[in-house]
Amino acid sequence: MKANWKLFTGLSIFYILMAVVYYYVGGEAVGITGMTLAACLAGMVGFYLWFTQKRIGFDIPSDNINAEIADDAGELGFYSPHSWWPLPVALSATAMGLGLIIGWWLTLIALGSLVISIIGMVTEYEKPVSVSSH
Amino acid sequence: MTSTSVSAHHKITRPNMVAVGTIVWLSSELMFFAALFAMYFTTRAVQGPKIWLQSTEILNIPFAAINTTVLVLSSVTCQFGVFAAERYQARRTASLINVKYWGMREWFAMTFLMGGFFIAGQIYEYASLVTEGLALSTNAYGSVFYIATGFHGLHVTGGLIAFLIVMVRIAKARRFTQGQATTAIVVSYYWHFVDVVWIALFASIYLIK
Repeated sequence: MKANWKLFTGLSIFYILMAVVYYYVGGEAVGITGMTLAACLAGMVGFYLWFTQKRIGFDIPSDNINAEIADDAGELGFYSPHSWWPLPVALSATAMGLGLIIGWWLTLIALGSLVISIIGMVTEYEKPVSVSSH
Repeated sequence: MTSTSVSAHHKITRPNMVAVGTIVWLSSELMFFAALFAMYFTTRAVQGPKIWLQSTEILNIPFAAINTTVLVLSSVTCQFGVFAAERYQARRTASLINVKYWGMREWFAMTFLMGGFFIAGQIYEYASLVTEGLALSTNAYGSVFYIATGFHGLHVTGGLIAFLIVMVRIAKARRFTQGQATTAIVVSYYWHFVDVVWIALFASIYLIK
């Protein structure tokens, strides 16, 4: 992650410099705000990656020039093998957007169904003990 | 499962993907708010100082300051909830009065109430501003004020829904493990982010004017 945080922090410094240059050549408010907050955008990711590297306390394989591909093996995270829930989530989000054109009533209904389908999606694998896994 | 695959299973080779993904998404949210800040400052520059002076004097700054304080403190209670989640402690182990033994659920419920207080205060503030003659369509100041604070209020409301979903998830979970803790941590990232954005909005709208 060394390369990653250095890249993002470098971008952040670049944006700060550009914001200062832009200010001195007589830039207006949008550009100065935009570039300063773009520096925050890159700086936030850079800081988080730097902080995470400090916290895990060792170099991950991609920082080690002698590492093998196999060294990076390991758990990526939990991925759902099969689920119907993304479909109602997407349909509700679509209906919410369409509601802005058709009428506010549709947006409100879609907001309710969006919350219900998000709860369904995130709790799908949180089953009580009695239900067998898989 | 052989012993080698078990040890490979638990080996940490990378940071938590959900947490990194959340940070990257929040950085894009930052640019959304950058557009709102840019809108605010441009409109102020184009409209001239007169309309700003007239409109900002009806703002109730002490009230907004109290509201801001509650939101900032809710970040603190949220962080205590994260500490509980990192101990894998879902609920309290002693009576409700004994704050020291609170679990993640109690801290997040506390955060939820404080966030709800902020939203209620925001609605009260909007109502009193409208009665004093500042609405969304009154002038350019009304538009940028309600769009900037309104989008932030929608984000806080989304955060409140996220807290509810986390608490539902923890209540349904068989065991409190890494997965549940990650959910709690990324929701706290979002909450801290929304809080920091509000501090910047408060400074721009209420203090700098």
